[in-house]
Amino acid sequence: MSKKRGSVVVASKKSLTKRIYEYRWIYLLGIPGMLILFFFSYLPMKGLLMAFQDFNPHLGISGSTWVGFKHFAKLFTDAKFYSMLKNTLTISFLSLLTFPAPIILALLLNEVRAQGYKKVIQTSIYLPHFISWPIVASLAFLLLSKEQGVINKIIESLGGEAHAFLFDKAWTYPIIVIENLWKGVGWGSIVYLAAISGVDQDLYEAARIDGANKLQQMIKITLPCIAPTVVVMLILKMGSIISVDFEQIFLLSNAMNRSQTEVFEIYIYNYGIASGSTQYSYTTAIGMFKSVVNTSLVIFTNWIVNRLGYNGVL
Amino acid sequence: MAGKNKKLGMKAKIFLGQSVLDIILFLLAAVMVVPFIYVIMVSFTDGTVYEAGKLILWPEKWSLEAYELVLSGSGFGNALKATLFITLIGTPMNVLFNAGLAYMLSKKNLPGRTIINKLVMFTMLFGAGMIPNYINMSDLGLLNTWWASILPGACGAYTVMVMRSFFEGLPAELEEAAKIDGCSTIRIFGIIVLPLSKAMLATFTLFAAVSYWNTYFSAVMYLTRTDMYPLQVYLQKIVLSANISDVIDMSSDLINTVPTEIMKMATVVVAVVPILCVYPFLQKHFAKGVMVGAVKG
Repeated sequence: MSKKRGSVVVASKKSLTKRIYEYRWIYLLGIPGMLILFFFSYLPMKGLLMAFQDFNPHLGISGSTWVGFKHFAKLFTDAKFYSMLKNTLTISFLSLLTFPAPIILALLLNEVRAQGYKKVIQTSIYLPHFISWPIVASLAFLLLSKEQGVINKIIESLGGEAHAFLFDKAWTYPIIVIENLWKGVGWGSIVYLAAISGVDQDLYEAARIDGANKLQQMIKITLPCIAPTVVVMLILKMGSIISVDFEQIFLLSNAMNRSQTEVFEIYIYNYGIASGSTQYSYTTAIGMFKSVVNTSLVIFTNWIVNRLGYNGVL
Repeated sequence: MAGKNKKLGMKAKIFLGQSVLDIILFLLAAVMVVPFIYVIMVSFTDGTVYEAGKLILWPEKWSLEAYELVLSGSGFGNALKATLFITLIGTPMNVLFNAGLAYMLSKKNLPGRTIINKLVMFTMLFGAGMIPNYINMSDLGLLNTWWASILPGACGAYTVMVMRSFFEGLPAELEEAAKIDGCSTIRIFGIIVLPLSKAMLATFTLFAAVSYWNTYFSAVMYLTRTDMYPLQVYLQKIVLSANISDVIDMSSDLINTVPTEIMKMATVVVAVVPILCVYPFLQKHFAKGVMVGAVKG
């Protein structure tokens, strides 16, 4: 004990430069990663200053005129802003409705006896997670298009009428939810499966002796045991309520459903970059608003998770 | 006797329940896989059979014309070149950079460890946003280069955290022994740490490769030269365009005989096949909890 303490004292007695010198090769290993984060995560932050300017690309940040909170004031009086906020929150809440799906799936998967069969099922349901949104959008198009989509062919062969699902406002949100489920339900179940595998098997043994059937075991043992994981996942999901999967929405949006799919990033992209317009400052302000709200929510929800004593769950 | 009957009834009930469960899960798995099977089947179907308007479950008459057409277009060649460049350069960079930074942060006594750790974590919490990123790329002179799609993804806080907690779990004795034998730090990292982490690195290599292969929006945003677009952008343009010959320059006269839908499907298949090929190797590692258990850090 005393020996150990002695060595610690010796270590701290070395000067800082000497200690840094000792670790020089280790720093070298970390430098490329740090440079990437510096250039592509920290350096862009200076661009946030544009939100407080009337930014002119030819003059740069140092030459543009400062306008204070003008763009933020405009933001909160812009009807478009509230429509974007509404669309974002609607899509988020709809995806919140699918929250129980991966839990149910994990509970079902856990009951499968034949390990080989389970493996096949798992392989199939995790697959969509790795498929890019452009391919998902393409599949959706090939399945749903009015002229050639196979779904419409089936409808027609049953005597129904073909429908342009992708260009119908009423179908926009259902399609978003279905795509999310298709792509995410399997992958989402992994975390719950891991939690279920941690449940004490003696509990089931005891329940069996008491005559509890499978369903009772599921409700009375498995669910309460994975409850902390469920709570944490739910809270974390609340933390990302202002973020939607941008690529998905971007690929789904068209002239017909614009009023429902125009979320913050779509507007920022269309008016900040795509149109070659000069709305850099206003769109930066919109993005900054989103980032700040998002960060606050994440910090707040993480604080709640820690406060509830759940930080060891994941 | 009655007791035996009851027991049998119970068994039948369990068997029934198990079967219903198996069927439900089978249907779910089918929903995930059938779109791919359908697209693959149609892509191999002869144009005349397809145009007859029948529902295709199995190609009655096989044809590779759609693939000939898709693969011969110069647009496809360019797109494949872009995607291969991004994937082949990006993946090793990503794994080495993440592992290097994670290894550095796994050293408990490293001067500045806490502050660097915090700075890395902060990038996960807060992003500057689309326009500042765009202006930054422009300032760095990376617009209209594939590097704009590679570099921002070459190091990520989440991966660094997962790798760090993995490295922290490695036995310290091995490294110390090597150090006493006079091994340099770089050598220890190369011949002891990395080989010990093979399974973990393999998983992250595949994750990185998949995500670079799927590069889409960064290309849309940072590239204006359409001949530099990667596969995903090319695919999306082909599938969603009404008039396919606007998008691809075709010299082949097959374009008049192959229905555009079949061409679109063949393009989807070409873009998705590499994922389907590496996927079984990826899947092997999920269960080990590489992604789940390590979030703790």
